[in-house]
Amino acid sequence: MWFVSFIKTSIGKKLVMAASGFLLLSFLAIHAFGNAAIYMGSKYFQIYADFLHGFPVLVLIFGVGLLVIFIAHVGVGLLLFFEKRKTASRYEVQTRVVENTFASRTMPYTGAWIFIFLIIHVFAFNIGKPEGVQISMLVQQYFSGFFYSLFYIISFIALAIHLNHGFWSMLQTFGLNHPRYNTLISALTIAVPVIFLVIFGGIPIYFMTGGAAGY
Amino acid sequence: MSSIDLTLKIWRQKNNDSLGDFETYILRDISTDMSFLEMIDVLNEQLTREGKDPVAFDHDCREGICGMCGAVVDGVAHGPDRETTLCQLHMRKFKSGDTIVIEPFRSIAFPIKKDLMVDRSALDRIIQAGGYVSVNTGGTVDGNSIPIGTETAELAMDAAACIGCGACVASCPNSAAMLFTGAKISQLSLLPQGLPERKERARSMVAQMDKEGFGYCSNEKECEAVCPKGISIRNIARMNREFLRSLLLGE
Repeated sequence: MWFVSFIKTSIGKKLVMAASGFLLLSFLAIHAFGNAAIYMGSKYFQIYADFLHGFPVLVLIFGVGLLVIFIAHVGVGLLLFFEKRKTASRYEVQTRVVENTFASRTMPYTGAWIFIFLIIHVFAFNIGKPEGVQISMLVQQYFSGFFYSLFYIISFIALAIHLNHGFWSMLQTFGLNHPRYNTLISALTIAVPVIFLVIFGGIPIYFMTGGAAGY
Repeated sequence: MSSIDLTLKIWRQKNNDSLGDFETYILRDISTDMSFLEMIDVLNEQLTREGKDPVAFDHDCREGICGMCGAVVDGVAHGPDRETTLCQLHMRKFKSGDTIVIEPFRSIAFPIKKDLMVDRSALDRIIQAGGYVSVNTGGTVDGNSIPIGTETAELAMDAAACIGCGACVASCPNSAAMLFTGAKISQLSLLPQGLPERKERARSMVAQMDKEGFGYCSNEKECEAVCPKGISIRNIARMNREFLRSLLLGE
């Protein structure tokens, strides 16, 4: 099958990484947009959540789809990580001419952190959600805990670092590298992670600082 | 003209099957006007006089255009000078008393022949897989009969500047040959002569590249930085596009 032989090639694996990364990024964008309703108050956030879960079939399809995409992203990532370890440190003296960014060096580690975060996050707000508790109340309940909020903030920082290299890397893999757009692309590699950090990271801070007094 | 004294730590290995190790040599009064290879020539004369085996290394034109020379000097392929082959690196870049560590270009796809000599024919086999245009018959076409824009011609020439030395592979943390293959695909796909075989070229060249045991690209840009011809990673992006294209539209 052409898809199998495609996956086996080096560029094919990179394209799976980039395509799944793009889809996960799109999901994050929708997720961030929806969750921004929290800043408007519990009423609006509950309306949004009820509206979303008014389509249980769609939620299920998207959930399963996301899981598949996520597994593909992590799977190929692990494969590339172990392949890299085979060729690393093959010289007695190793000097980098261009120091790779902190983000690119730590991709597997920020990725692993996000993986752990997601297990906790999905368990807390989806699988292990207590019956009869409104999601808008649950959010407030969880984020009133200092360490829980801190864990979320650290995770969002890890996400931002991951996206910093991931975003540029994704565009390069798709073949988007052109002097005319490279200034814009390098601005976006900072802007995109920062936007996610502000929207997502703002939520625990919103509850921690008492900004959510009227929530 | 000034001269310097150096300590060299050179990788010595009899062949690909034997174990190698570093040997330390001391060289005195090396002229700073010498090239790096001339410096090794001096060492080899000294070793020959002592009845020892001279250091084997690849070289040919010694003017930076053939792609034959190359070694990893203090951890950098082709040494500390940018956009310079090893033969064009001069001893004035070093200070008296320096210890220089010289290692061969290492990759699973580059078996060591002897000392600093490596077998880079894996790169030739990538070219054989599709890095050509088939012109099997007819007379020579007039040069100006196919119009090509200046910018396109320049971009193709920038890619064609690749001398296939293998420094990109040697410096890549994943030992990937993507800059090389990207340049070889780009130089043809940019020009009208390369278009008829475009649908198959990228796919078969990438397949050969993987078969040789080269790694994948993790976008670290080290290849571009050490490339003696300044080949840009834009060529890797172009290869990715060509690969996708040949995958979706290829026969």
